[in-house]
Amino acid sequence: MPTAEEVLAALRDVADPEWPVSIVDMGLVCGVAVDGGVVRITLTFTSTACPCMDMIRDDVRERVLRLPGVRDVAFATTWDPLWTKDRLTEAARAQFRRWGVVV
Amino acid sequence: MATPSDEQIVERIQQGHVLESPAEMSDDYRRTLIHILTVSADTEMISAPSYYTAAKNSPSMNNLISALAIIQDELSHAHIGYRILQDLGVDTEALIYDRAPTAFKHPYAFDVPLRSWVELIVANAFYDRAGFVLLGDVYRHCSYGPWRRALAKVDKEENFHLRHGENGMRRLAAGGQRDEVQRAIDWMFPMTVEWFGLPDSLKTHGRQIAYKLKGSTNDQLRQQWLRTAVPLCEGLGFRVPAHFDRAADGCVLDYPLPVDFDEAERRWLMDRPITWDQVLVRWKRRGPGNAMFVDMLQRGRRQMRALAGVH
Repeated sequence: MPTAEEVLAALRDVADPEWPVSIVDMGLVCGVAVDGGVVRITLTFTSTACPCMDMIRDDVRERVLRLPGVRDVAFATTWDPLWTKDRLTEAARAQFRRWGVVV
Repeated sequence: MATPSDEQIVERIQQGHVLESPAEMSDDYRRTLIHILTVSADTEMISAPSYYTAAKNSPSMNNLISALAIIQDELSHAHIGYRILQDLGVDTEALIYDRAPTAFKHPYAFDVPLRSWVELIVANAFYDRAGFVLLGDVYRHCSYGPWRRALAKVDKEENFHLRHGENGMRRLAAGGQRDEVQRAIDWMFPMTVEWFGLPDSLKTHGRQIAYKLKGSTNDQLRQQWLRTAVPLCEGLGFRVPAHFDRAADGCVLDYPLPVDFDEAERRWLMDRPITWDQVLVRWKRRGPGNAMFVDMLQRGRRQMRALAGVH
């Protein structure tokens, strides 16, 4: 069974579908808990009308199910805290700057 | 500064020079760039009404939001292309709003209306993949700096669109809509193969490649598309009229390109080979959705002009 830290490390492999920045560096991951074989993940999105919610959840499920011992992934969505640019990590900012995107 | 000759331009570009303004261009370079940009901007633009018509069939609110985000991206890509055309001295107002539908330069594929959510998903997987291949090639090679830089954003977004198509196909394949997906693949796969145009044996790319407005030939680009589209479909258990050939170290088609297309039935007549001249006749005539889609783009402007008494 993976620890919450191991799940978080795996989530670094999952990129935001619109920009190839990890969802962890995007600040979308708000909580990870391992509950028997079930991994519970709380995500936020950059807007309530985010066009990628299903894609992100599909990608997260696919990645986390590859961790040994994981049977299922359960999702919750939160809007508290509300996502702002402040949630971007320095790594994400550096990548955006390279692409000429102001953050 | 005197206008450089074509030979001087080609030599500079081959040495890695990137052009930054129309003043550095020869007439022929400028004409060639305008042509390629017009095809690209028209393609992005016309995909909006085509996708929008199909998006009305979205099975859920989330799906509709995804589809609309893609349409909004396409319009912004079109805007980038037309904006660069303006800097090259093109009257884009007339280009967009006063052109006859048949004069638009997007691929014929977008003239064949999509009829369902499933077809929109397959269009994201196939058509946006073609866009990704073609624009990725420009992004890596383009000798005109302003376009090349603008494509950094476009490249990322097209990747999102084709992944939307892939994820969507995976969901549909698992969700009991296999037959409908297969029917969409049956007409849309050959449609995208044809999109890449004349084979290298019939087309000379001389100028476009010498100017680095294109880095690869039609056959190379078609092959790039096939190399990811074929495994995607096969991996999900769908039939495609192409396969990977170890000896050729690439994908080969299982039918003679080009073949005849029954527009009304949206069916390729695989046993009826035609010539590329015949394909060009169909492309120039344009397809069944051409007038409707261009009208969707132009109608609002026409109504505003009428209200303001401008003709």
